[in-house]
Amino acid sequence: MVSSLARVRGRLLAGSRGRVLNGILLILIAAALVLVATRAIALGPAYFIQIVVYGLADGSIYALIALGYTMVYGIVELINFAHGDVFTLGGFVSLWLIPIFGLEEAKSVGPGIIIPLVAILVISMLVCGVVNVAIERVAYRPLRHAPRLAPLITAVGMSFVLEGLMFLWRGPFNLHYPNLLPADSISLGGSASIAYKDIAVIVIALGLMTALSLFVERSKLGKAMRATAQDRDAAGLMGIDINRTIAATFFIGALLAGAGGMIYGLYFTSIAFDLGFSAGLYAFTAAVFGGIGNIQGAAIGGLLIGIVRVIVDGYFDSAWTDVVVFALLVLVLVFRPTGIMGMRVPEK
Amino acid sequence: MQRRWLSTTTIAIAVALVAAACGGGGTGATTTGPAATTAAAATTAAPAAEIIIASDLPTSGADASSGLPTQNGAAFAVSQTPTYKGIKITFKPFDDTVNGVHDPQKGAQNVQQMLSDPKVLAMVGPFNSNVARAEIPIANQGQLAMMSPSNTNECLTQLFPYCDPKPAALRPTGKNNYFRIAAPDTVQGPAMADYVIKTLKLTKVAVFSDNETFGKGVADNFVKRLTSTGGTLTNRQDFDMKTTSDFKAFINAAKAAGAQAIYAGATSATKACIVRSQMAGILDVPFTGPDGIGDDQCLKDAGANTANMYFTNAAGDAAQNPDAAATVAAFKVAYPKASDLGAYTFPAYDCALILVDAVKRAIDANGGKVPSRQQVIDAVQATSGLKGTVGTYAFDANGDPKSATMAFWFTKGTPAVWTFQSQFSVQ
Amino acid sequence: MTVLRRIWETDPRKDPNPLVYALLAITAVAYPIWAQASTGGQGDFLISFLADGGVYVLLAIGLNVVVGFAGLLDLGYAAFFAIGAYTYAFLASDHLVVTPLQEAVHLPFWIVLFIGLFVAAAFGIVLGAPTLRLRGDYLAIVTLGFGEIVPRVFRNLGVWTSGVNGISALDKPQLPLWIQGPWSGDQLEVVQNFKIIQPLGFYVIMVLLVGACIVLVNNLRISRIGRAWMAVREDEVAAAAMGVNTVRVKLLTFAIGAAFSGFAGAFYGAKLSLVSPENFGFSVSITILVMIVLGGMGNIPGVIAGAILIYVVIFGLLGALPPLAEEWATSLGLGSLVAPNGDWPGIAQEVQRLRFLIFGLILVLTMLLRPQGLIPSRVRQQELTKGVNEDQTIEDVNAEAAT
Repeated sequence: MVSSLARVRGRLLAGSRGRVLNGILLILIAAALVLVATRAIALGPAYFIQIVVYGLADGSIYALIALGYTMVYGIVELINFAHGDVFTLGGFVSLWLIPIFGLEEAKSVGPGIIIPLVAILVISMLVCGVVNVAIERVAYRPLRHAPRLAPLITAVGMSFVLEGLMFLWRGPFNLHYPNLLPADSISLGGSASIAYKDIAVIVIALGLMTALSLFVERSKLGKAMRATAQDRDAAGLMGIDINRTIAATFFIGALLAGAGGMIYGLYFTSIAFDLGFSAGLYAFTAAVFGGIGNIQGAAIGGLLIGIVRVIVDGYFDSAWTDVVVFALLVLVLVFRPTGIMGMRVPEK
Repeated sequence: MQRRWLSTTTIAIAVALVAAACGGGGTGATTTGPAATTAAAATTAAPAAEIIIASDLPTSGADASSGLPTQNGAAFAVSQTPTYKGIKITFKPFDDTVNGVHDPQKGAQNVQQMLSDPKVLAMVGPFNSNVARAEIPIANQGQLAMMSPSNTNECLTQLFPYCDPKPAALRPTGKNNYFRIAAPDTVQGPAMADYVIKTLKLTKVAVFSDNETFGKGVADNFVKRLTSTGGTLTNRQDFDMKTTSDFKAFINAAKAAGAQAIYAGATSATKACIVRSQMAGILDVPFTGPDGIGDDQCLKDAGANTANMYFTNAAGDAAQNPDAAATVAAFKVAYPKASDLGAYTFPAYDCALILVDAVKRAIDANGGKVPSRQQVIDAVQATSGLKGTVGTYAFDANGDPKSATMAFWFTKGTPAVWTFQSQFSVQ
Repeated sequence: MTVLRRIWETDPRKDPNPLVYALLAITAVAYPIWAQASTGGQGDFLISFLADGGVYVLLAIGLNVVVGFAGLLDLGYAAFFAIGAYTYAFLASDHLVVTPLQEAVHLPFWIVLFIGLFVAAAFGIVLGAPTLRLRGDYLAIVTLGFGEIVPRVFRNLGVWTSGVNGISALDKPQLPLWIQGPWSGDQLEVVQNFKIIQPLGFYVIMVLLVGACIVLVNNLRISRIGRAWMAVREDEVAAAAMGVNTVRVKLLTFAIGAAFSGFAGAFYGAKLSLVSPENFGFSVSITILVMIVLGGMGNIPGVIAGAILIYVVIFGLLGALPPLAEEWATSLGLGSLVAPNGDWPGIAQEVQRLRFLIFGLILVLTMLLRPQGLIPSRVRQQELTKGVNEDQTIEDVNAEAAT
């Protein structure tokens, strides 16, 4: 009853005023594009292509983390602040495994490194998955019926705990991550080129994301997840094991974050224990961009943030990059309150 | 009903605990001094009097990468002189981070706590210029000597028209109590600009900074000198290092603008040398920076791309000083972990060394008794020709090091090591 | 007298608030005396420590209006704190000389306190306006964005704000007239333009500010607007249907909530004499949120207790832990742990490294043990125990039926 009232009210609001707002949004977008275009023309197309490639690679990493945020939010309506630190954990675990698997910077080259790298990737992902499920069991599940903000605070607490553990493990410094991916690149015409590294990052990230969305759409567990996200109680009544489904969601989200951590390390050749804080903040922003709860939206949001960042970095002043990204976030929500991809959030 | 009553009692106890804890936070720390003394007294016949040299550094969370190794240096230096003329000299570290970020408010509280303990006669720190601005006025009123290993902001000690606040505004008593051993930004940045233009014979430079007080200040001064002596700034970026790790757009822009060198207004703790690592395969030009990049961490971060890197060091060549080598070796025995040693470990060691030296002279001057805080300040001011691990020290009336030497270092060999190249004196 | 009688006659089992208020008042008075007595007259730093903590109490009271009363989650509250502090920095220092204005402004602390209030409130409306269409967590995210933007704008507009260097050497509060005497260790005389620099002076100002804010916020809570907050929190659509102007209520909420941080910012600037953009980040917003949730959202004494508790833990206890650990180890006969030995860095340093972990565990454990907060509001407590909360499930009903 209440929710249908709200929907009617929302539709009324979206009427004439919505059209005006959308008009303003279009004008703002056009102005921003013109501004970027004038700078881009001055610096030439090769440079533009080059930085967009970087933006896509950065963005795919954000997208990987954002998926976990969006899935967890969709199902338990919790902003899981510890998720960014699970991402860092993926980097740390894989960094620890690399020498164990006998890989060394500048010595291990060629296709022979693919198998150990995949093995490391899988193990790091699984470790992150198990850790995240444990966090859910210990810190979130007991609070499922507590006041809404209580799990938010335990999430912050778990974030500190994870950071504290990684701090103890490897200390406060930036850790050098072996540069194992080939440095060669393919020319894209002019001075622009795409490195194998960039391709690897984008392909792995997109592959994992496609696998995930297929899983959620096709598999039985995926169906259970969607059902639980829509109405937990009804799903429970239909015989879905709610606890198992939620745990699975945390597990899958952490798999992707763990993969993201390792890819980040390989791509940027450096990780630090407190990386998750800002990476998580950006990924979360990406999830909101795409309409939180929406898996494809999160992926697109991540890529978009990556591109916006490099454009500000590359054409304007990077001191303002974060301001632009967050201002964009505010604007997107003001004009399209459910994200660029839109998603009907159940009114509760 | 029974349970309710229990829970209210819990609340009452909790509130009482809050009240108790309000003091617990502080008193716990204050009682440590005497407690430690009695503990020591049990084993050795400890002397009655005690002098504490405190430190205030960011030692937890993300900032710990700057603060912890620095604290190790100071602690080690103080531990070299456990007693002097029967007076015990001990070290007491304070941490000025809140949630892992240096916090001027916490720093100010730490200094107030030091002042409340009459045994504290001097402090090493702070690490960050902003914390210094909050602490100097408080320490000034309590006549506590401060000795910073890393503050380089020129306005902390010298008066320029653009300075706000003016150095005098930070010193309510009108007397100076603040000293530092690092050369101000107005020395280090321009020195590298001259070096790039005159020695490396390069004129087009791309500059980036970490947008923090030290990095941005030194980069600004580099650019000022570069453009006033015929060089060109190709492009400039101030990164928010906490949220970004991707510098490739900047590197490509530098390449497109024809940059012949890069200047990093940053430290290895703020990702300076990760930029170097990402330059691989895109832009192969010399990489220059301030003393903040002159450590092993930087070489590790740079990965395989370590050739052609240069930094300025406010101190002379430490390797020429055989005493320094012995000290470094002894330090590595006491602190074996690689992460115990950072760019500011030995500057902090020197700070503590200067303070211990001043305390000793003040004890002498005071007839073998514990001196007053002002006497320690006077003794620090009178320091002359004291040889530390990374420099030889004397101070001018502002608290700046007198006649600092500026040295240039570069990377050599594989695996690369920082190597001394040349030095000159600045007034 | 009637107040005392009310405290006495209220059963703390039913309503702990009067008792908590009484305890807070007693603590506020007794604390400085205890501080000086327990340290032999060297207690200034303890008094100063709690005066700093009062800033967080003010911030928690303000955020509680937005989150606790009106149910609008705000993840960027530190932005208003920054705005308040910078307002003080601009209006009470020499700083504007080095900006394009080239003219210093020195307004008295007491006036800037209220200017800060109005400036912060104005920004509250600026932020509130675009969020009116948003609900629930989307609102939280917009506030988060705002909280990230504001400190960066202060940092990047270097011409006006000195950028990362921040603004320092701010004015101290002054009293036009003051009588000095033997009690402060001076000769008896009347001083004009008395500068407050002693921690006790700041402590008294803070206690008065907090007291005034408590009265203010309590009156607001039981006023028409307070009832509107509650209505909006429980069900926005129903509230609108009952004639509550939700747009106006939400805007007022943001404005009033922000106003308290204007107070806090001005006091912070005056006491510390420095504002810099690094110290108003996301972690500050989260810390304040932790304070109110842990204390008991929606209940003012709970929020105050939570703020003081978390402040003491973060600023005092965590910093004092390493030497404490050393002391405990020695007294427990584990003296060998104190000195560094091989890979073991010594207990003090080890505990220092554990700080993040310890704070995280404190947060998790307190929330698990007491999810409603230390001193929850009575309404919320009933919601929880009577099972009328929105997320009620079959299990809950079964569990209730069983008891």
